[in-house]
Amino acid sequence: MKVLKTFSIFAAALILTDAAQARVKLVALPARARVVVSLANLQATLVEEERIITLQKGVNKIDFSWKGVSIDPASIQIRMLNEPGKVKVLNTSYPPNEQALIWEIASPTARAERMRISYLLQGITRQVVYKATAETDESALTLRNYLRVRNHSGEDLDKAEIGIGYGAGFKRTVQHQETIELLSERIENLPIKKILTWDSKQLPWDPEYEKKTVGIPLNYVIKNDKASKLGAHTLLPGKVRIFIKTKEGVAFTGEDWGGLTPVDREMKLYIGQSREVKVVQRKTTDERVNLRRNNGNRVVMWDQNEVYKVEIQNFKTTPVTLVVREHIPGYWTMIESTHKYAKKDAFTIEYTLELPAKSTGDKKTTLTFNVRRKNVQGNEPSSY
Amino acid sequence: MKRFIFPLLAAVCLQSAQARINVTSLPGRDSVQLTIYNSADLTLVKETRTLTLKKGRNRLEFSWAGTLIDPTSVEFRPITHADEVEILDVRFPPRVTNTLEWNIHSEFAGEVKTEIRYFTSGITWNADYLCEANANENQMTFAGNVRVTNRSGEDYPKAQIRLVVGVVRLVEKIIDLARQGQPAPPSGGPRPSISTATRARANAAMGQALAEAEERKDVAKEALGEYFLYTVGGRDTIANGWSKRLPSFNTAEVPIVSYYKYEKERYGAAVMRFYKFKNDEKSKLGKEPLPDGAVMAFRTVTQDNLYNFVGRTAVKYIPIDEEVEMQLGNDAEVRIAPKLMNWQKDAIRFDKNGNVNGWTTKATWKIELQNSKSIPVTLDIRRNFGGDWEVATEDKFEKVDAKKIKFVLQLNPGEKRTLNYTLTTRLGTNATK
Repeated sequence: MKVLKTFSIFAAALILTDAAQARVKLVALPARARVVVSLANLQATLVEEERIITLQKGVNKIDFSWKGVSIDPASIQIRMLNEPGKVKVLNTSYPPNEQALIWEIASPTARAERMRISYLLQGITRQVVYKATAETDESALTLRNYLRVRNHSGEDLDKAEIGIGYGAGFKRTVQHQETIELLSERIENLPIKKILTWDSKQLPWDPEYEKKTVGIPLNYVIKNDKASKLGAHTLLPGKVRIFIKTKEGVAFTGEDWGGLTPVDREMKLYIGQSREVKVVQRKTTDERVNLRRNNGNRVVMWDQNEVYKVEIQNFKTTPVTLVVREHIPGYWTMIESTHKYAKKDAFTIEYTLELPAKSTGDKKTTLTFNVRRKNVQGNEPSSY
Repeated sequence: MKRFIFPLLAAVCLQSAQARINVTSLPGRDSVQLTIYNSADLTLVKETRTLTLKKGRNRLEFSWAGTLIDPTSVEFRPITHADEVEILDVRFPPRVTNTLEWNIHSEFAGEVKTEIRYFTSGITWNADYLCEANANENQMTFAGNVRVTNRSGEDYPKAQIRLVVGVVRLVEKIIDLARQGQPAPPSGGPRPSISTATRARANAAMGQALAEAEERKDVAKEALGEYFLYTVGGRDTIANGWSKRLPSFNTAEVPIVSYYKYEKERYGAAVMRFYKFKNDEKSKLGKEPLPDGAVMAFRTVTQDNLYNFVGRTAVKYIPIDEEVEMQLGNDAEVRIAPKLMNWQKDAIRFDKNGNVNGWTTKATWKIELQNSKSIPVTLDIRRNFGGDWEVATEDKFEKVDAKKIKFVLQLNPGEKRTLNYTLTTRLGTNATK
């Protein structure tokens, strides 16, 4: 254990001189009997340490100091574990210009008391890191979930019980300036969906006018549920690196930030782009109907009749799931659609299309839909 | 360190203040009482000293160099032989600061017990609380502490400490008056900061304090007009530069409600977590109002009572019988996600010129709710509307005010559900109210 920057806890018979800077202490140095680090709260790291401290009958002074480490002094709590009813904290004193406090603890007898000191410690950060290896056919993957603990607190944590709020904890030593990565979960054969998403707001409608081949965002979708061998807890946000099995070893396919995913919800990982699927969207009808004019003959309100045609070719030798996302502002009704759609919100619809392998040329998939945007004045909301 | 001296002046004074030669005796304090306010930087110090007066005229010099005492507040009062001892005048000598002289006439020769009272700046107190919720978050152990900090420049050994909860009005700051050294016309200037030297001055009288305490001090509470007075049992020494924290109360099994609020206009998209409790007898509290202070909240999560850190917050002054909400930050384990699912603009009206002057929008909202925690939670979801609005829903809601409704409901562990409502807003000439 590094002594340079460390906590010290003193069962002290204090002899104080005239200056606080020169407080003379006669101290015992009880070793830590247990250290627990709770990383369950994203905002702050809670450390609880237990020490067995020999008390004399009567009033004892316990000096707790934290030079060189950043503890929130307001967070420091002490609890008696053996005789909480009998061994009592009388008061806490804070000397000037010192990172220290002194507890006065009254004990009815001379005894060894196990005490638990809890405090929020800065400088310990945690990250959740996911590493996934997909099967060659991209139908399933092996997901490993790591807890990465970085200790820059100034304090060595010996044999610390580290917990993140779910799953089994770890018992590890994490030295000052050390980072450790602990495997908290490993799930084999986790089913995934591979989905391409073509968003009419994000991507060009006619690739012919583009200098480069348009890539369509490719997502792996993991559902945090029992069917996917997950569903025990919320998946915490973290970077997900995805590899794919090859004949020899693995290849890296991409990475994304996985968002916070409660049970039964999907974690969508944008891992790259596919250039094997081509989407061409055109507005084939765009006309104002049901015009309403004011007395000056100016059109003050109308309906907009719009027909969209989306042609999709899959050049891959395997079938592909493609989501086509369309944005329709304002008040609208669907007059006609060749495919079923899901209304995601008031101004967004999604078509989920299963594109057959090699569906190109005459075999391409064609989607058309006709929407009527009603009572248009040109200031329709497109988001909320 | 400049000590607070109390010279009994059997004085041989030369006329020039620059060359004052004093022969002084230093009667010690018999007792000190500190009444510390938390709404202003103000402490009333009352000390008693026993003086030996001669019959006839006595001059007493009182000086307080290096402290933060308000010179306009210093008062002298005989406790014994009060009808025989009279203060003729008070004098603040020229070219000397932090000194005054009392001109006293005594009909009595011998020991007189006296009281000296004054205001000082630099001693503050504040309350803090520890909330230790159980695993189910339906009960807590609630403990209160008071912490007294002395940066007044003076040690007050073995003082009786009284703490005042309440708001007092001061027209001038005590520290401004203290800085003047002598009574001066109101300056209204900015408050000088306490000098580094004063702050930094360390002192070892704490050692004595450490030897004093033997058992936990009771903190007695009494109502006093609009104020509440806490009197810390026994005597305490809080040396200059030191702070001392004393337990005030500790109550187990206080019922709490784990409460989650969502209001976009107030908290953004986050779900805010609260513990709610009542300062009343039913909740095993309610014996006194609780002063404002910081709260650290933990939840015990294991058989051996290891903590999870829930959050930290501050509570406002809590009168008896008042309900308290402790805001403890957001919690990702509870999801509240409103989504506009449909929007219509209909019932168009035109004015005589054919321009649109009235319309009605109908917005259909779906609020997805999910409790990923292993315990039930109560949700309070508030939605704000403007104009001539009307809500239609099969879900139970309550109108908070003219522009706000709330849905309050409980979600069981792991439960998911949705709330649905349609908001109709009549605009322009369609508005009926």
